[in-house]
Amino acid sequence: MDATTVLAEINGNIATVGYGLAAIGPAIGVGIVVGKTIEGVARQPELAGRLQVLMWIGIAFTEALAFIGIATYFIFV
Amino acid sequence: MTHAPGASRTPTSNPVLRRALTWGGILAAVILVVSAVLGFVFAGVDGLVSALVGTVMAVVFMGITAASILLANRFSGSDVFVGAFFGIVLGGWLLKFVIFIVLVLVLRDAPWLNGTVLFLSIVAGVIASLVVDVLVVARSRLPYASDVDLPKPPVEE
Repeated sequence: MDATTVLAEINGNIATVGYGLAAIGPAIGVGIVVGKTIEGVARQPELAGRLQVLMWIGIAFTEALAFIGIATYFIFV
Repeated sequence: MTHAPGASRTPTSNPVLRRALTWGGILAAVILVVSAVLGFVFAGVDGLVSALVGTVMAVVFMGITAASILLANRFSGSDVFVGAFFGIVLGGWLLKFVIFIVLVLVLRDAPWLNGTVLFLSIVAGVIASLVVDVLVVARSRLPYASDVDLPKPPVEE
């Protein structure tokens, strides 16, 4: 069976791929934000309060993309 | 980290997060009214319900991060703080997305929802809560050396 035949057999909603893509980006982003915060707090524990606020803003912006990406399920049929 | 005995060990980020949650709640009420009116005008009662559900979802899910940091900060000063902090914040994040995806799947086929209105009100709520977060952080004053306690001057006898 060649590749074209296999591809033709696939059915379902292509938007499903979009949910997967919407999960990858924020996962990487939040991983970097949190990892760097751990690094910063380990170097300078007295800055924990400041770093927490910056981490929270970073997470908020990153997860906004994920929310909008997953919510597109409501409009894409 | 050096702490004087009996000194406060609460991280200085707590007031900022609390203020962000308060302002986020106030703005959410405004968006709730506006989006409900717009939803009702454009899509009738279904639009109104969708706008309410969408705004509440966006604001609650965006607020969970700040709430989880506030919860985790209660462990500050204990030996397990770093582990507990990132466990609670990231665990809360994961849980939030699982709940969000389940909600989306459940609500998708609800006959009383208008998908477009729901989507637009979620986007409006998310963007509004980002704006509130940025404004609160930009206007907050965090001491640069936050959790350091200065040694007290010796008592003269």
